[in-house]
Amino acid sequence: MELNSYQQEAFNYQRPNIEKFSKSNLLWIVFFLLWIVVGGYALYLQIAHGHVVTGMRDNVVWGLFIVNFIFFIGLSYAGAIISGLLHLFKVPWGKPIIRLSQMMTITSVIVGPIFILLCVGRFDRLHHLFIYPRLQSPMTWDVLAILTYFVGSALFLYISLIKDFAVYRDTKMDIPKWKQKLYASLALGYRGAASQKRHLIISQNLLAIIIIPLSIMVSSILSWIFGMTLRPGWHSTIFGPYFVLGALYSGCGVLIVAMWAYRKMYKLQDYFNDKLFVNLGYFMMVLAAAYGYFTFSEYFTSWFGSAKWDADVINKLFSLQEYGWWTLFANLFGILVPIAIVAIPATRKVNWITLASFAMVMALWVKRYLIIVPTLETPALPMQDTRMEYVKYTASWPEWALTFAGIASFLLLFTLISKLVTVVPVSELEEPLHQHNHQHEPIFVNQDTIQTV
Amino acid sequence: MKAIKTRDAATLKLQSAIIYAGLMMLLFIPVNIFAQADSTKKEAPAAEAAVAEEEPSLIGPSLNFMIVQKANNTIDLKAAMQAKVKGTFYKLSLLKVSFVLVTETGDIPLGFVITDKYGKAVFNVKADSLKTDAAGKINFKAIFAGNKGMDPAESEVSIKRARLEIIPVKEDSLLTVQMKLTDLSTGTGSPVPETAVGIFVARLINPLKVGESTTDADGAASVEIPYNLPGDAKGNITLIARLDENETYGNIEASIVQPWGLKVSDKLTELPRALWSPHPPLWMVITFSILMAVVWGHYIVIIVQLFRLRKEEPDTAIATKN
Repeated sequence: MELNSYQQEAFNYQRPNIEKFSKSNLLWIVFFLLWIVVGGYALYLQIAHGHVVTGMRDNVVWGLFIVNFIFFIGLSYAGAIISGLLHLFKVPWGKPIIRLSQMMTITSVIVGPIFILLCVGRFDRLHHLFIYPRLQSPMTWDVLAILTYFVGSALFLYISLIKDFAVYRDTKMDIPKWKQKLYASLALGYRGAASQKRHLIISQNLLAIIIIPLSIMVSSILSWIFGMTLRPGWHSTIFGPYFVLGALYSGCGVLIVAMWAYRKMYKLQDYFNDKLFVNLGYFMMVLAAAYGYFTFSEYFTSWFGSAKWDADVINKLFSLQEYGWWTLFANLFGILVPIAIVAIPATRKVNWITLASFAMVMALWVKRYLIIVPTLETPALPMQDTRMEYVKYTASWPEWALTFAGIASFLLLFTLISKLVTVVPVSELEEPLHQHNHQHEPIFVNQDTIQTV
Repeated sequence: MKAIKTRDAATLKLQSAIIYAGLMMLLFIPVNIFAQADSTKKEAPAAEAAVAEEEPSLIGPSLNFMIVQKANNTIDLKAAMQAKVKGTFYKLSLLKVSFVLVTETGDIPLGFVITDKYGKAVFNVKADSLKTDAAGKINFKAIFAGNKGMDPAESEVSIKRARLEIIPVKEDSLLTVQMKLTDLSTGTGSPVPETAVGIFVARLINPLKVGESTTDADGAASVEIPYNLPGDAKGNITLIARLDENETYGNIEASIVQPWGLKVSDKLTELPRALWSPHPPLWMVITFSILMAVVWGHYIVIIVQLFRLRKEEPDTAIATKN
């Protein structure tokens, strides 16, 4: 498998990350596993005692679990759309982040649906979704769409890795035998022959073309779980595009934070350079403006119409005695701060953009909470003689423990993937100043370093 | 090599800082900070709890006993067994309930029934053969003898024999049901005045009440029946006259079938394709199928491409030379 000098340099630079498994890596993984164990105990309590250990009751039947589900699935859709667009439009500066986007896609599409399973009261009836599907139900659409999407995103990540697997296979690395065998089998015998290249390009292009509309469709279907009901705050035609945009926006934020973390941990500033941060910052700013417009439109329409139930939800969202501070936080850090930080040249710096992204991701998580809980706390049927915990949702510690366990699982998967493959793709990489038509001389892996597999 | 070392050191530093921050967060978050309080939960006094633990007692079942006099000159003896365990009511099935006729000379066993899954036992006896007491009452007793886990239970009910007649009357378009309530305990049959009697129509699960009337001095009452009640395929409806939980006579019922209802076909009609029916709209099936076929079709093409890629692996040595 041939690499040009720039690609070879990038590979050599990242090799230690997949060769070595340091004590700090182990400590990192143990830390995540600890969180997952705490989550496991919370899950045990939930299974043993039922959903009574959560804050969910008759009226508020969805809580943190669904918030996390929407959040993670949103990240996944964003990763797929960003990587698909970067691949299709062959954006030169975007090549280093394609892998990171795809990693975000696959990890969050694994973690997200787990939260749905946590929300299901009757595990023994889970298979009924497939045995007795009801095609008219948005729930059925969502289950089938997520399964289809999972297969697509896993294929997309794998296909873009085949060339790199061939590079790992053909390089004599200080790695265990099982890892060598794994690389060899995953490389599918790719040697860079013209016909093989053609098959790979066709596959990549087809998937990039299909994954973008698929992500938009699946994201819209997720929004329709809410939008198709007649509940105040949910029943809105804007919900489909609003969810797509929100997903893309939060995904962009997580991508920037992930870039910053890997840039620091693996010293990848040559690849995740300042220009990349600024470009993604601009992208984030545009998304923030569009997202702000959608948010304003959603609130303004409901407030102006003042239909009874809509007005109740709006009042809850803006009342400082109820969700007012959260609404302020979600809109300040979710819309205004990211725009201001990227717009002002003095703050248009890596650390500032990352900080704004992190705050924005938090704000968008809160926004998902504000979409779900206040609406469920405003049922159309009046509640009389009801206990307070049935009216007002408060998340219990098992829900928080499982939430943190989910975040830990997401980060753990990210860590494990980055120990298996290079975070910056090697074989697809282009030198930043490639505008001149200078072609790097291909170099071949030294015969001595080739190992038989 | 130096670069790698520097990088490792930086990585370790960053990761250690994050782990330390996480652990500190754990320390400062009280475990129950997010827990939700149950406003109805009350702490049981420690002494009571201790007593409850020390003395495992038998379950004390309750036996509800009622009697229904029927128009075919028989009586249904109905018993229902249930028990409250840890605040929840359970219907007790597979228990033997014996029915006894209580007379001045002693108890006469009538028979027994095993309770069904709803905890119910129904025993039917012919009314003519039953002995009455001096006051003209018939006394029944339902007995559960108890078992290893449950205390015994029994219940007694006394009734006077009575008959409820139901007579359908159709005048022009007016549908009426006339009822007559007669006391049979005197032997001659005397009318029962000033007693409320209800008229019901049999429906799928429970009877539907359509009216109520109080008997006059002759023991007669009448109720008008609506003309638009859905019936069966022939328009038949079952009208039930019922005296409920009367202190003297218990429950009495009589029924009659009349073609006074609207004809409703008993054949299942094919439901249209709609959001609410079991059949989704056709456009939805077509759209869904096309979307899934397009996406999965792409996946199949891609997987075929990958198989071809694997098949076309060139010789390693040649590939390396080239």
